[in-house]
Amino acid sequence: MEPAVIALESIRKYYYMGDFVIKAVDDVTMRIARGEYTAVMGPSGSGKSTVMHLIGCLDSPSEGTIYIEGEDTSELDEEDLAYLRNAKIGFVFQQFNLLMKLNALDNVMTPLMYAGYPLRERRALAEHTLELVGLRDRMKHRPNELSGGQKQRIAIARALVNDPSIILADEPTGALDTVTGEQIMDLFEDINSRGKTVIMVTHDPEVSSRCRRTIHLRDGKIVEDS
Amino acid sequence: MFTEFIKLALQSMVTSKLRTLLSLLGIVIGVASVITIVNLGESASKSIQADIAAAGVETISVSPRTRDREVRRTFDLEMADRIRSEIPGVYRIIPTHQFNTTVRFQNRTYDGTVMGVSDEYAETMDYQAAEGAFFSDMDNEEFRQVAVLGSLAAEDLFPDGGGVGEYIRIMRGGTARTFRVAGIMEEKSSSFNIQFNQNVYIPYNTYANRVTSIDFVRSYLIRTEEGADVLAVADEIDEFLERVVGSGHYYIFTPSTIADMASSITNTLSMVLASIAAISLLVGGIGIMNIMLVSVAERTTEIGIRKAIGASPRRILTQFLIEAVTLTLVGGILGIAAGIGLSSAAVRFFDWSFYPMVNIYFLAAGFSMAVGGFFGLYPAVKAAKLDPIEALNYE
Ligand SMILES: Nc1ncnc2c1ncn2[C@@H]1O[C@H](COP(=O)(O)OP(=O)(O)OP(=O)(O)O)[C@@H](O)[C@H]1O
Ligand SMILES: [Mg+2]
Repeated sequence: MEPAVIALESIRKYYYMGDFVIKAVDDVTMRIARGEYTAVMGPSGSGKSTVMHLIGCLDSPSEGTIYIEGEDTSELDEEDLAYLRNAKIGFVFQQFNLLMKLNALDNVMTPLMYAGYPLRERRALAEHTLELVGLRDRMKHRPNELSGGQKQRIAIARALVNDPSIILADEPTGALDTVTGEQIMDLFEDINSRGKTVIMVTHDPEVSSRCRRTIHLRDGKIVEDS
Repeated sequence: MFTEFIKLALQSMVTSKLRTLLSLLGIVIGVASVITIVNLGESASKSIQADIAAAGVETISVSPRTRDREVRRTFDLEMADRIRSEIPGVYRIIPTHQFNTTVRFQNRTYDGTVMGVSDEYAETMDYQAAEGAFFSDMDNEEFRQVAVLGSLAAEDLFPDGGGVGEYIRIMRGGTARTFRVAGIMEEKSSSFNIQFNQNVYIPYNTYANRVTSIDFVRSYLIRTEEGADVLAVADEIDEFLERVVGSGHYYIFTPSTIADMASSITNTLSMVLASIAAISLLVGGIGIMNIMLVSVAERTTEIGIRKAIGASPRRILTQFLIEAVTLTLVGGILGIAAGIGLSSAAVRFFDWSFYPMVNIYFLAAGFSMAVGGFFGLYPAVKAAKLDPIEALNYE
């Protein structure tokens, strides 16, 4: 069997609020193979976002080990984790999280700047990726001049531009209307068909039915994996 | 990457101009003070050196410094002869005395200074007559009522030219005395405390016996022999006077002592400005730290986003340091401009020539950047250490 692209081993994430312990993630173990297209579902507060942040190396677990492409992330320092987030993972947020002062092109070019590409290559790659998400004609616009769907396309382009193997999306259609949401879903399917491993949080059974695998969370635990 | 961050920094400066300006005030004042100090010091010393060079001769001047009439009376013409004969290196010694008054020609008046000097004055001071001639030793010996006009006096009394051979009246204590104009002098730039052009010169003996009844010389102008060491001669005169009139009863000025005085004035000024500069730069630095902390807080979400797409702590640190340095560099440039304006105005006020020190501009710009780097470090470290998720969820 090919080693998993993502592996979580007995992951726990606890928040301590005075005497309370909030078990946001409670003993989760999962393996995601290369090229998989996975949906994560569960009621609000079940720990979906927390799991995604942990996989995306934006957060570190209280207990357990996370492997990204076989590498034990608990042994990495902040600089290495930044490299991982930049090169191996593309994260798409529900609220887009674009840099408001920069136009679409500059937003998409930013990960390439951190990757150390020279300006000319950055431009070429970013324009190419914007073309891929169908927004080449809007690349000089700032986020506040664009619709929600367009913003999410820019965010997706930004996640894709550095050619990471993993795309993580936390309710990417949550802030969009149905039609626009479906277009975005088509885009993710297209991305997956190009060989990227995609994990997506969603509340929409329609969306999860289009994925090959769905993981259900409840109270920080996996209750179903099919 | 640097250019992106500089662009971003300038952009955010433009969007909040007033806040930026206020936070930069300390840096601007600090740098302006430094530039003023340096330009002023440089202009002062260069101007004084130029004055010494323009005077052409190193003149020593000696004056009584006492209200005791008995001591003061020892400063007489005989003392002048003794200094000339007893101190080697003394070439000429000119007794002088002066008062301010009104001089009239027909219905024209001139308010200026009447100076009693011996006939050797013009030659000693390298001062040429434009028309006629300076008065002679005979004029002096025989207490003749002849006068020689400085160029400003001549302009006022004889605006249409001429004047030599005319009779002017010099007022003193309610009485007017008539003097024949023997000569009109060329213009000569002032050196130290002698304003040549505004004087009306009359023979010393006439001054002391006919016009006034003074019994002491206000000041001796001494010129040394060619090649003599002026300061050594001044020391000898000092020793001689200490013996004859006692210490503390006289002043000795050489161009060097005047230069020293001027530089001590500018030194005091420099000290004051230097302390202003130090305090302002400290306050300015704290202002920068403050605005950078505000900026980091305001842009927490931006920092979270940047971290999420792969900015390492070092990159975030670099971004905020560049921003602080860009900010202070702009402050430094404003300060340099203000300093140039201030110092050139001050130089005009002191009547020196402006000798700006351009090297210091680059140094000041570099120093402002260093202040930005130093005081921007803490906010930048704070930004770099932010937790990505906490930063993203920050309201
Ligand atoms: N920083 C935090 N401090 C304390 N508790 C937290 C923190 N972040 C998350 N939690 C808690 O952890 C649990 C899981 O939160 P999480 O955001 O992962 O849920 P979710 O499944 O994404 O929910 P939703 O569908 O509403 O987005 C929740 O109970 C939440 O209140
Ligand atoms: Mg969530």
